[in-house]
Amino acid sequence: MPCCCQPSLSERAVRLLDFRQQLKPRFAVLGFVVLAVLGLLLARIWTLQVLDGPAYAKQANDNHVREVTTEAPRGRILDRNGRELVTNRPTMAVVVAPSSINDEKLLARLSTVLNMPVADIKERVASVKLAPLASRTVAIDVPMSAVAYISEHETEFPGVEVRTQAVRKYPQGSLAAHVLGYAGEVSQSELELPDSPYQYGDIVGKAGAEKSFEKVLQGDRGRQLVEVDAKGRQQTVILNGEPVAGRDVVLTIDSKVQAVTEKALAQAMEDAHKAKFPKARAGAAVAIDIKTGEILAMASLPTYDPELFLGGISEKNWQMLTSKDSEFPLTNRAIMAQYPAASTFKAMTGLAGLEAGFTSPGSTYDCKGIWTGMGEQWKKYCWDHAGHGNETFMEGIRDSCDTVFYEIGYRFYRDKGEKLQKFARRFGFGADSGIDLPGEVSGRIPDAAWKASYNENYPEYQQWLPGDTVNLAIGQGDLLVTPLQLLDAYAGIANGGKVMKPHVIKQVLDAQGTPILSTSPEVAFDSKTSQGNLSTMKTALASVTKDGTGKGAFVGFPVAVAGKTGTAQVTGKDDMALFVGFAPVEKPRYAVVVVIEEGGHGGSVAGPAARQILAACLGQKIEHVTATDASR
Amino acid sequence: MNERKRLWFINWPLLIAVTALAVYGSLMVQSATAGMPGGPGLFRRHLLGLAIGLVPMVVVWAFDYRTLQGWIGPLLLMDALLILSPRIPGLGATAKGATSWLSVAGFRLFQPSEPAKLLTIVVMAAVIATYKGKIERPADLAKVLGILAVPLALIMLQPDLGTGMVFVAITAGMLLIGGLKPRWFLILGIVGFILVGGLLSLNTALDKALNRDVLIKQYQLDRLQVFVDPTRDPKGAGYNLEQSKIAIGSGELTGKGLGSGTQSNLRFLPEPHTDFIFSVTAEELGFLGAVILLGLYLALLIISLEIAASSRDLFGSLIVAGVMTMWTFQILENIGMTIGLMPITGIPLPFMSFGSSFMVTNLAAVGMLLSVWTRRQGVSGY
Repeated sequence: MPCCCQPSLSERAVRLLDFRQQLKPRFAVLGFVVLAVLGLLLARIWTLQVLDGPAYAKQANDNHVREVTTEAPRGRILDRNGRELVTNRPTMAVVVAPSSINDEKLLARLSTVLNMPVADIKERVASVKLAPLASRTVAIDVPMSAVAYISEHETEFPGVEVRTQAVRKYPQGSLAAHVLGYAGEVSQSELELPDSPYQYGDIVGKAGAEKSFEKVLQGDRGRQLVEVDAKGRQQTVILNGEPVAGRDVVLTIDSKVQAVTEKALAQAMEDAHKAKFPKARAGAAVAIDIKTGEILAMASLPTYDPELFLGGISEKNWQMLTSKDSEFPLTNRAIMAQYPAASTFKAMTGLAGLEAGFTSPGSTYDCKGIWTGMGEQWKKYCWDHAGHGNETFMEGIRDSCDTVFYEIGYRFYRDKGEKLQKFARRFGFGADSGIDLPGEVSGRIPDAAWKASYNENYPEYQQWLPGDTVNLAIGQGDLLVTPLQLLDAYAGIANGGKVMKPHVIKQVLDAQGTPILSTSPEVAFDSKTSQGNLSTMKTALASVTKDGTGKGAFVGFPVAVAGKTGTAQVTGKDDMALFVGFAPVEKPRYAVVVVIEEGGHGGSVAGPAARQILAACLGQKIEHVTATDASR
Repeated sequence: MNERKRLWFINWPLLIAVTALAVYGSLMVQSATAGMPGGPGLFRRHLLGLAIGLVPMVVVWAFDYRTLQGWIGPLLLMDALLILSPRIPGLGATAKGATSWLSVAGFRLFQPSEPAKLLTIVVMAAVIATYKGKIERPADLAKVLGILAVPLALIMLQPDLGTGMVFVAITAGMLLIGGLKPRWFLILGIVGFILVGGLLSLNTALDKALNRDVLIKQYQLDRLQVFVDPTRDPKGAGYNLEQSKIAIGSGELTGKGLGSGTQSNLRFLPEPHTDFIFSVTAEELGFLGAVILLGLYLALLIISLEIAASSRDLFGSLIVAGVMTMWTFQILENIGMTIGLMPITGIPLPFMSFGSSFMVTNLAAVGMLLSVWTRRQGVSGY
């Protein structure tokens, strides 16, 4: 069969089939590419959304939710009459971020603008007391010209911020500085406490009432959760927590009495200098309400200026405030220092003797100026070497006759029951008073057990000797008391044997000024002393200011005062002057203690100061008298 | 059967897939623009683009694609003119560093490079079809590449790196169907790699020598570098990628809900309605929403493959393959850049992104697919 050139219909179909057959694998490749592309995308999306989804969800949340916190104003501290002792004021502060504190050039520029030595700036930013990540306050109360300069030259001051900051304000100056304490920036250790409510830069109480009542004074920061857009502009408020201001605290302190107390203490120093005791510069005085334990005044010398702590204390000032050369001005000597009670302790020995039946008001003693009760080789002297002659128990208190108390003390020693020590403890000696201020020390009532353990490595000194009890009886030897303990004991004598718990907080106020918390009087120590013996002791103590060692200080005082002078001998130092007492004798209301380190005689230095403080408490005329008593 | 009746042979699956994508896209554009100033206006423009796009779709569909096979010269000229038109003084407008808009009296009409993609596909299909499914002579390959070079060079001058990459991808897809041997792909790949490397070095050298930014713009280089290392300057060029990944990742399995995406509504995402529409989708509708979208694309591409295979001639198959490659590459590039798989370029997502020129072009492409389908093998009368 000849074939013609015309392709048949079937041939056309075959050619078409060829074209399709040819393309098939190529379409398969294309299809595979499509599947590969979509599969790749799907796998990656699965990773992002399902595997890493929660992590990205958190990032998205962090992106658009910001926490904005607002500082809460710290509570004020008021005196018992509502007078402001500590409040707040706004100030312009220059703050440097931790990232910039090593930028020497920046610090040099700041030094010029702030008119402050570079060394001072460095010292402030290098402060080790601050948390490493906290911004450092370089200066407060920055003048407007400096604020303007820094704001206008932002790029020259990287990491530097000028901001309004609230700082403490002391309308009464350094009045009651030791009671109030001070506040400062939260430290790293405070931040790391479990449940620490603080964040960097928070101001917290560091000492005194600021520390004791930190929980009420500190407000709650306002915490807002806001939604922001990519440029950080606020969109909506998700959660709005307003700041809650700290509570105001009302103290038991009476600023008028406090002022008199501080002035009297300072005057006592001058009196001591005049009386040839030139080294007197430290001391303490406290006034207390006998029935309630409320502290009306508490002063300690030397004192300090709480303003130094504003915006963070400089290293230099801190050194000055904590050095021996300046006699540790931060120490509140009323509760943190321990002294021999000296003759003021004779009221304890006397009462204990009466309670134990070792003596009676009418018991008589013969004072020859020298006492040999423990044997010739252990002879002891009365402070009046001439001797008091025949002395009754009552006269022994009045004249502060050592011989009388040597006898009583020796009686206690022979009894072997440590009754004197036990009795003293019933009035709070040797224990914390429980005052609501931080840092108090508890003093020491020496006894056989204490002596043995104290001299653990010196067996020859471990035995309790007759002289130990005899020395304790006149308030010397190893006895140590804080001025507040001494005051408490006398307040206890005045208050039927009950020592009230001393305190400085009276009330906590709410935002409207209504008290939401008031302290009620609490018995700290009940000595369970017989009322008759207490009454005897009161009469004896009253005679001290009438005819005895405190006469010069209280001559002409319109209210009857019961009290006791003391002159303590401290090895290597000048004598220390003490006075403790209460008034009025019939219905006692206030007790006062005055201690002047290296101040000389209690009757001539401490007594006149106590007179002024009692006068302020009782609303009497405040007079400075010059007494010349050189007795103990 | 006459011409009129033949038009009823519609590929319904294709239309359904495209409709579904357009509806999905409109939903997301609405959500992405809701919080923007002038958001409702933008959304209306998006819908308008969809409506306008129906006209070229129907016209292209009705037009017998086979007629175009003889118009290689005029079509190539038109292609070049289109791409060059924004350069004509008084007609061009510049946005984001590229002169890619055609504008009249300050009113931006459209981006000519979009329809130019389709013209390039048609021209290239016509040329490749003449080789009857076998590209063996280097001269033939050179001719195809020469045709690619015209629009590619002009596009790179705008400059528009992303669209240039689309042209290369389209050409590769069509050369595959056109019968280029695999080893040639390998050779082209190596040559391309060397050329790009050379260009980058030349660019650096020229920038330094002339002390100004020539050839490849610095922002384009930045984007490429960020692609290599996203943590590099996250607030600058890497910021967009980081925010996009956060948006997508935070959508998790089921998303934050339509209109509730924080990354998009609070502007952490740049261009949420155009380049980063996928990030919005994944953030608000989650992995499920992403799977649905990828499923729709899979349907669209498989249907396209079926249409390509059903073509009565190689020309039709090549056109469909070109369109299909264009879509595949755009999907890869756009979604890929939002998840850190591809460098960030301004390539929109087909049928999803806001942008009228783009939408109209893609609908015209659908018209071309329909035109091939309606005139396919086995339909009587052809």
